[in-house]
Amino acid sequence: MSPRLMWLPDVLHGAGLKVSLVPGWETRGQDSLGRILGVICHYTATPDASRNMPTLDLLLKGRPDLPGPLCQLGLGRDGTYYIVASGRANHAGRGEWNGITTGNTNFIGIEAENSGRANDPWPAVQLDAYHRGVAAILREVGRTAASCCAHREYALPSGRKSDVNFAMDEFRQRVATILGGGAPPVLIPAAETGGRSRPTLRRGDTGQFVTELQQRLGMPDSQAVFGPKTEAAVRAFQRQRNIVPDGIVGPKTWAELDVMRAV
Amino acid sequence: MFGSRILEVAIGIVFIFLLVSLICSAIREGIESWLKTRAAFLEHGIRELLHDRHAVGIARSVYTHPLIYGLYAADYEPRSSTQPLSALSRGGNLPSYIPSRNFALALMDIAARGTGTHGAANGPTAPQLSLQLARENVLNLENGAVQRVLLGAIDTAQGDMEQAIANIAAWYDSSMDRVSGAYKRATQKLLLGIGLTIAVVLNVNIIAIAHHLFRDDVERATLVAHAESVARDSSFIGGTSQAQYTRARAALDSLRLPIGWDQVRLTPPWDTRLVRDASGSVHPVRELRLWGYVFEPLVGWLLAALAAMLGAPFWFDLLNKVMVVRSTVKPHEKSPEESSDDRQTSSDRQTPNDRALVATPPAQPRPSHPAEAVVEPAPDPDAEVDACDVEADAATKLTEDEELPAARGGVA
Repeated sequence: MSPRLMWLPDVLHGAGLKVSLVPGWETRGQDSLGRILGVICHYTATPDASRNMPTLDLLLKGRPDLPGPLCQLGLGRDGTYYIVASGRANHAGRGEWNGITTGNTNFIGIEAENSGRANDPWPAVQLDAYHRGVAAILREVGRTAASCCAHREYALPSGRKSDVNFAMDEFRQRVATILGGGAPPVLIPAAETGGRSRPTLRRGDTGQFVTELQQRLGMPDSQAVFGPKTEAAVRAFQRQRNIVPDGIVGPKTWAELDVMRAV
Repeated sequence: MFGSRILEVAIGIVFIFLLVSLICSAIREGIESWLKTRAAFLEHGIRELLHDRHAVGIARSVYTHPLIYGLYAADYEPRSSTQPLSALSRGGNLPSYIPSRNFALALMDIAARGTGTHGAANGPTAPQLSLQLARENVLNLENGAVQRVLLGAIDTAQGDMEQAIANIAAWYDSSMDRVSGAYKRATQKLLLGIGLTIAVVLNVNIIAIAHHLFRDDVERATLVAHAESVARDSSFIGGTSQAQYTRARAALDSLRLPIGWDQVRLTPPWDTRLVRDASGSVHPVRELRLWGYVFEPLVGWLLAALAAMLGAPFWFDLLNKVMVVRSTVKPHEKSPEESSDDRQTSSDRQTPNDRALVATPPAQPRPSHPAEAVVEPAPDPDAEVDACDVEADAATKLTEDEELPAARGGVA
C-alpha cells in the first residue's frame, strides 16, 4: 500500500468542499509518511487579507532553512483546499499529541490562510471548511475528533507555538458533530432560481453568460472564457461587496452584479 | 536501537497478554457468579475435612447449624457425591465463604449440645457451653475422626475456651488453603479453555502480532505509550469484572493490531511452483504451507491462551518490571534534552539531525520502483523544525489570486 495520500482530493471533494490541485502534488513530499493518526491545524500568519492564498508558494517551496512542502493542505480564505503534497511535509516540529511524537510522519498538516491577529477574524466559510475538511480526513483514516489538534496544542515545549487562535474544544465538538452525520454541507446552487435562471459560473466555463459577466466587470477584449484573470476580477469584486471571495459566480454574485448596474 | 526494539516488542506482547488475561478472567468471573463454583468447592472441602463424603452426618449438621445456615439462602441441598467436582460445578445457594470462627463455634456447639434444634437444648435450661461439656458429649458428633480432632483441640487449650475455638479454626483454615488451591487449579484449566476460545474467536495470534510490532515502528510506539500509561495505573486491573472486560476490550480495539478476523485475507493454503520434470515439460506443483497456514496460528493462539492462564496480576507485575528495565536501557527517551533557544529563527543552532535534513534537496526524485520507496517510518528526524507561524518577509513571494490553480467542488 502506498503511503501517499492520493485519496485527499476525492475525500475532501466528497465532503462538499472546494478542492484545488496544486500541480505536482502527486509527487510532492517524501514517501516516508506513516499511517495517518490525526490532523494538526495551523495558520500561515501571513498578514495579507487581500489575497485568497498568498502563502501557497511558500508552502510549496519552503524557506531557506526548511525545505518544502510545509504542509499537505492549504486552506484559502474562501474555504478552498489547496492540495499541496501527497507525501511527508515539514509542518509539525517537536511536540506530542495523544502520546504520538512523530508529527510529520503521522499527522496531516493543514495550513489555513490567516494572520492570527485580532484584526483578522476567521471568515465563516473558511472556518466551516476547516471543520468539514478535518472531519472528512478523520473519517477516512478511521479516527475520532479527539485525533485533531491545534499546532499550539501539539508543540513542545508548550507555548512554543501560537497557532491556531480559535478554541479547539469547540472546534473538535463541531468536527464530532459533522462526523456524526449532523450538518450536511451547504452548496452553491447550480443556477439562479427564478428570474433569468443564470447558471453558476466558475473558472473554465465559456459562453454568452461569461461574456456578460466580463462586460459587467469592465474587462476589455473579453474572450468568453472564464480564465484565471476573470476569476481574480470576480474575487476582487466579491471582496469589495463583502460576499465570499471564491471567484465563483453564483446567485448572490449575480444579484450583486445586478445591483452594480442599477446604480 | 536494536535492543530497545526487541524490548518494546516484548512490552507490547506483555501488554496484549495483560489485556487478553483481563478479558478471560472477567469472563471466568462472570461464569463463577452464575454457577457459584467456589461454593461447591468449599462445601466439598468441608465434607472432606469432616470425613463425611456423602453429607449425611456431621457435614449436614454443620451446614444446617444456625451459625452457618444464616450465610446462605434456601435449604441445604448437597450435591450428589458421585458427581466429580470441576471448574463448572454448580454451587447453588451455598455460601462461597464461611468464616473460620463461625465454623469452629458451630462444631463446638454441636459437640456440646447435639445437633437437634428442638427441645431443651435451645431453652433457658440448656447446659452452659463449656469445654468440659463438649468433652463429655463429644460422642454427639458420631464421627470418629472429628471427635479425635475436637478432643485434641480441647485438651491442648487447657481449659481456655477461646484457645480451643482458635485451634479448631486453625485446623479449618489449613484445609481451606487446600480447597482454594484446588479451586485455583480448576480455574486455570477453565481459563486455558476460555483463553483458547477468545484467542480463536478474536484471532489473537501472538506470533503475527509480534511480527507486526517488530516491523511497524509507529504502532509499536503507540502501544508502548499506551502500556506505559496503564502500567502506572494499578486500578486498570481492578474494579468489577464487567468494568475490566469493557476496559480491556476498548484498549484492544483502539490498538489497530492484526487482531480479529475482518483483516484476514483468505488465500489458498498452498504455494504453486512450476517444476520442470525429466522430460522437460513444465507443470505446477502445489506445496502446502504448513507452518504459515496451520502451525503458526495454532501456536500463536495457544500462546495467548497459556498467557491468559497466568492471570492479569501476573502480567501487570511483569509489565511494570519490563518498563523498569526499559527506563534503564533508554534514559534519553525518559528525559529528552530541553533546549531554550528558538530553533526557527536561526539555522546555525540546529542539531546535526536537522542539518542533515536541511541539506536534503527539497525535491527528492522519487525512486523508480515504488516497492523500494516503502521506508520504515523512523521517529521524526526533523522533529525540531516546523513551518508555520512565521511571517513572510519582504523577500517571500506572495501568490496572487491569478496564480492560484483552478478549484472544483462546492457547487451543487
